[in-house]
Amino acid sequence: MSAKGINDKASSEKLRKALRLAMKFDPVNVGDMKTGSMYSKNMDMQKILDGVKDSSIVHAVFSSFENASKYLKALKAENLGLSVVVSGLFDKVFDMAQQNGLRPHTASLSLGCFGRTDLLPEVLPVTTMCGHHQVPPRLVRKLASQVRNGLMSAEQAGKELSSLCVCGVFNPVRAAEYVELLAEGASVTIADDVGSFSGPSPRETSPKL
Amino acid sequence: MGAALRIDPELCIECAKCIPYCPEDAIVPRNRQIVIDLDTCVECDTCLRASVCPTEAIKKTALEWPRSLRSVFSSVVAEHKESRVPGRGTEEMKTNDVTGRFRSGDVGLMIDVGRPGMGTIFADVERIAVAVGKIGVEFEPLNPVTFLMANKSTGELRDDVRMERVHSAIVEFKTSISKVPAVMEALEAVSKEVNTVFSVGAACRVESDGSVPLMATLKKMNLRYRPNGKVNVGLGRPLSNG
Repeated sequence: MSAKGINDKASSEKLRKALRLAMKFDPVNVGDMKTGSMYSKNMDMQKILDGVKDSSIVHAVFSSFENASKYLKALKAENLGLSVVVSGLFDKVFDMAQQNGLRPHTASLSLGCFGRTDLLPEVLPVTTMCGHHQVPPRLVRKLASQVRNGLMSAEQAGKELSSLCVCGVFNPVRAAEYVELLAEGASVTIADDVGSFSGPSPRETSPKL
Repeated sequence: MGAALRIDPELCIECAKCIPYCPEDAIVPRNRQIVIDLDTCVECDTCLRASVCPTEAIKKTALEWPRSLRSVFSSVVAEHKESRVPGRGTEEMKTNDVTGRFRSGDVGLMIDVGRPGMGTIFADVERIAVAVGKIGVEFEPLNPVTFLMANKSTGELRDDVRMERVHSAIVEFKTSISKVPAVMEALEAVSKEVNTVFSVGAACRVESDGSVPLMATLKKMNLRYRPNGKVNVGLGRPLSNG
């Protein structure tokens, strides 16, 4: 993404380049927060590219470390001058930066969730893949039920959930894995409390579908 | 109440396909109709974008202030007028290699109120802002919540926004690593006063030796942090004058 008022002027073409480049490394999702993702309804890559603006924030998601690293290498070579943020396990991300001769600049840590955590739904590992809360917990449970009853595949459910995440940061492959677990009656919960004063842990019983 | 998302009863065939597509569970059956509960609805437009209504009965109308705030904070594609940033409305640490928002020794705190997935009213956002305001933090000037503050020193918000409901809103401020314990104590206390959840994010510069000083501070406080997070990898740079 570009920094408003500093390097955003005429950055849309650079952001488009970044998206086109991402497609070469087999991403599981790409998108632009201003327009939509490759799974958004009535959307395709050309519409996404056409809709890119200077204020766009573009995303690409990979299911393999290798593909993500190759993309990062390609971005470095392209020298667009725009900020790149990599999300993942810190150990892996720092390894990836080192592999590509990059020195990480700033890190953002999650210190956990506080307040009325007793009211949180069980399916957070799925819904929180969309950071803007566009993926409803009720829909996750409904689609898991449809998968269990043979009305749709887990892969289809993953894509349907992805269609609601506008910016394209949602991982449909991981979502399908979670939906499959839910369909089998397993539970998906947040691993570990984080923080010294978090509330009761989310329930660990299987959710009712 | 003013204009808002609504379901046209003339077009609705009560198939209920839309109900599970609302992230806030605001679409409900009521009096033999399917309606949008306007108190709960945060105007995020997810129901529209889902395109599941076979008769296109969900209608969007122009929103008036202060209800328009719901859409700006909850619809991903809406761009915050003041910051010109969509989604969360703030760049946070994502462009720190260009903006220098957080320097060595700084900690940027992002208190994401209503996240994950519960929503919040601005009254709870204010409780949290006021709690950390007492410590003497510097609220981020380019953050959309800061723009709603009647008092940018104390964190108090304007009267007319307090009861508006949104997916989430970020209280963002800068402080020094040495003040992090006091901030976390303040958050512990206010966590018992809010009727929602909030997620705490903290950003800091990575030192030249690859270490993240904040991690050591948190360990001393016996506060864990998640093993995953975001890393700005330093590829950004300002435009040249040429």
